[in-house]
Amino acid sequence: MLNYNSSLPEKKSFQDIQMMEIYPIMKLNLRGKKREFMSAVGKSLNLLLPTESNTSTRSNTLTALWLSPDEWMIFSNEKIDIMSNEYKTENLLMNKISKINLGAVTDVTDQFVLINLKGNKIFELFQTGSPYNFNNFKKKKGAVTQTILAKIDVIIHNQDLNNVNLFVRRSFSQHLYSWMSDSASRL
Amino acid sequence: MFVINCPYCGEREQSEFKAGGEAHIVRPKQPTELSDDQWAEYLFMRKNIKGIQYERWNHAHGCRKWFNMVRDTSNDKIKAVYKMGEEPPTE
Repeated sequence: MLNYNSSLPEKKSFQDIQMMEIYPIMKLNLRGKKREFMSAVGKSLNLLLPTESNTSTRSNTLTALWLSPDEWMIFSNEKIDIMSNEYKTENLLMNKISKINLGAVTDVTDQFVLINLKGNKIFELFQTGSPYNFNNFKKKKGAVTQTILAKIDVIIHNQDLNNVNLFVRRSFSQHLYSWMSDSASRL
Repeated sequence: MFVINCPYCGEREQSEFKAGGEAHIVRPKQPTELSDDQWAEYLFMRKNIKGIQYERWNHAHGCRKWFNMVRDTSNDKIKAVYKMGEEPPTE
């Protein structure tokens, strides 16, 4: 991905939490309501969009997060090519979805920053600044929620045990990262 | 502070939501035929009851969907939550 500047250059490590930005990762926002939209995405990407609330689905290359009944976010599991601005997935969906008015495909690669957190006190950290009840969430692999953390809108994806992805809008990312670092240092 | 059961996401804390005022106000079919008073009645006048009130809410920091809610304004007890377009509960 050309000219991508990391929003959060340094990795932070604490006793029970490590966090770092992962980039460049392709992120797409998909919106659509029709049944044909769901099947077109499924066929094009070989990935079924999750219909159950607060869940995600994963294929070898992509992960789809449920955001609302007609909105999903798709991101690449692996880093993408830093030397190109061409996204195969986006082009494919543009042709199969946008151009025939089945739904909307928006590239949000630059809009969201992906922060990966590892460690066994991730949810203790979130609990210090979020109104969301993480008790069931942390037991469920693949769970997704949109909530508030330190008054900032975030998308949290429970990827695996002690491995959580957090998406935050780029303009909030530095503030949130420094808040999380401060909070993690006091756990 | 209270917990709201979003019809799409499940139970969430109130700070994730925004209140959107009274529900089930129907826009007049022929606005041009109304008097100023009737138009003002539709546009501005809201009930603001102490007791059971039908309201619109938006899950602003979650799924960003609008829905309806029946709430007792005197004690914030939520009687029912239902999606947009659905009939309000009769009870």
